Amino acid sequence: MKKTIALLLVLVLALGMLAGCGGSNDTAEAPAADSGETAETPAAEISVAAIETAYGSEMWQQVAEAFTAETGIKVNLTTDKNLEDVIGPAMQGGEFPDVIHLATGREAGLTEQFIKDKNIADITDVLSMTVPGEDVTVADKIAGGFTETSLTNPYGDGKTYLAPMFYSPCGLFYNAGLFAEKGWEVPTTWDEMWELGDKAMEEGIYLFTYPTTGYFDAFLYALMYTVGGPEFFDAATHYEDGIWDTEEAKECFDIIAKLATYTNPITPAQANDQDFTQNQQLVLDNKALFMPNGTWIVGEMAEAPRAEGFQWGMTALPAATEGGDCYSYTWFEQAWIPAGAENIDAAKQFIAFLYSDTACEIFAAAGAIQPVLGIADTLEGDNQMFYSIYDDGAKAAMGNFASYTAVAGLGTVREVFMDPVNSLVNGEITEEQWIENIKTASAQMLANIQS
Amino acid sequence: MLKSKGRSRFIFLCVAPAVILFTVFMVVPTLNVFRMSLFERGAYSPTETFVGLSNFEVLFQDAKFIRSMQNTILLIVVVTIITFFFALSFAAILTREKIKGQDFFRVIFYIPNILSIVVISGIFSAIYKPENGMLNTLLSFFAGDTVQVLWKDAKLVMVSVIIAMVWQAIGYYMVMYMASMSAVSLSLYESASLDGAGRLTQFFQITIPLIWTNIRTTLTFFIISNINMAFLFVKAMTSGGPGGASEVALSFMYNQKDAGLYGYSMAAGVVIFLFSFALSALVNRATKRTPLEY
Repeated sequence: MKKTIALLLVLVLALGMLAGCGGSNDTAEAPAADSGETAETPAAEISVAAIETAYGSEMWQQVAEAFTAETGIKVNLTTDKNLEDVIGPAMQGGEFPDVIHLATGREAGLTEQFIKDKNIADITDVLSMTVPGEDVTVADKIAGGFTETSLTNPYGDGKTYLAPMFYSPCGLFYNAGLFAEKGWEVPTTWDEMWELGDKAMEEGIYLFTYPTTGYFDAFLYALMYTVGGPEFFDAATHYEDGIWDTEEAKECFDIIAKLATYTNPITPAQANDQDFTQNQQLVLDNKALFMPNGTWIVGEMAEAPRAEGFQWGMTALPAATEGGDCYSYTWFEQAWIPAGAENIDAAKQFIAFLYSDTACEIFAAAGAIQPVLGIADTLEGDNQMFYSIYDDGAKAAMGNFASYTAVAGLGTVREVFMDPVNSLVNGEITEEQWIENIKTASAQMLANIQS
Repeated sequence: MLKSKGRSRFIFLCVAPAVILFTVFMVVPTLNVFRMSLFERGAYSPTETFVGLSNFEVLFQDAKFIRSMQNTILLIVVVTIITFFFALSFAAILTREKIKGQDFFRVIFYIPNILSIVVISGIFSAIYKPENGMLNTLLSFFAGDTVQVLWKDAKLVMVSVIIAMVWQAIGYYMVMYMASMSAVSLSLYESASLDGAGRLTQFFQITIPLIWTNIRTTLTFFIISNINMAFLFVKAMTSGGPGGASEVALSFMYNQKDAGLYGYSMAAGVVIFLFSFALSALVNRATKRTPLEY
């Protein structure tokens, strides 16, 4: 009797397992059937995956609801702070969300991998689509320049693959209150910067700190613009032969290496994902004057204690020479459609909708600013000051290093160009070693550039 | 005859789910790691190109990989020695000596083991903080001057990881040894002390030989888990930095995946797999003794 029961139990177990397998088969077939239908009728549902950042995830819920109200297409929304871990495994299994909002420059580099694999759907035609619920096209709404950078057109073929999203001017953040108290001027050239650094050091304040080396991307891009202008930036980000031996390149390296000597020495020990806010805290506590950052810093450190009279200030990168151009890098996020998505047409409608007045208002309420014309006039508070940086004489720097096919042993742009800054600060490597490594890697990047 | 046939069918059915699950979730993925290490592909790309052994050729010349393997070996050796030293001593003290609040200590030592690694890294982030961190405050107190040791900077970062890993592991192994030590018959110690053997002699001549099987098993177990734990600690505490100073084998592998080099990362996986396999075989062999019984 006992044995029969045991046997039955085992059978039930085995059946359960088979049923489990069967179940997964069903789900694998279901979307295939869906996609067959989408050819004739528009999809009734799309899946959207969006990274949850300092702006929160509620705004995505609201935009999804507004989109459904406008078009009748349901949105299946996934938001998470570690979006890569949530959608990654399913994508490795071949199931892609229809729209992914995830910027480049993250540590997991998921968007970069899709770019390198040419695994992103062409969305050039979205620009000429009418925004759902309005009578203007997407191209009419997006501010100039945003759809002409290598961040949106990674292959330089005039086709747009990634839609520009929430933009944020990046620059050097400081305590404006401290500057007023000490009677210091915000430097406009690098020479003034070093002078200020010496003056501040006398008071026990270091000139510089950075959250993690990842923040050097916007810094380096803007620096390349200030030193050599757009031509140098283009040549350098395309790893042009001999570019790192030019005067301009040497000046960029020298400035960063000199800055490393002015950096608060505890910075590298805290420049990791666990402790980076402690580096940001250094500015709040008047232990470092400047840090490279973006406008999200205000929200990120909202709860942090701060020195008396603290007030956020932001400046563009100082000019290379007296009267030269100041640049502020325009950092923006990207939304894109994986080439393997099921409902590409509906996904394109969703992306078009992200630039509608309704969506822009919802995003702006949460602090996320869409790159649409005239939005800067509607801002309030700290954001008004930050976003008016371009009205105050700073030029906008956009773009990034050209995408190259991943090669074993080569390393990413961040590993080659930015991570060694930690070692420059703590003296593990010299400026020459750093430049030498960049030259070797850059030659290999050039050989594998994607176009 | 009929009965034994029914019996073997029963055994077969009992074993089948485990075997099937093991094959599907362990054997197949492991073989797949070996296969993919011969290809070049991104984690999400649908295409792959066969590149033979070139991933391995590059791997053995990659300074970053060599550094990460060095760190892994350093962690295995140092963390294992320190952990086992403390776990055995504490276990011996708590079982053999009469100390007030034994259970209290047992619980205190075990607590780190229940905490998740992320919590531990948060705790140690507060301990290692350069300014007003617990450790530096303590050092300043004794030095009588403000001491600012950069625990997570390149020079000391591995030491910091080692301290955290030892702190986390001691309790678990201590409890394991306490269990087997308390099984050793008290009469052995009594007769030994009548023969004039001191505490230390008793520990080395009686306790260690009698719990050797346990030590041996836990040692192999610890070395393997150490490779995994090192990854978790480094990922949560230092992100491999600064400048790759605390990168370990598995975090190297993980980063290569993120850089879009899935095949290369799998090649690193193969090397780590073979390395840990060989290491545990070696440990198993080196620690082989005739089991003592009494």
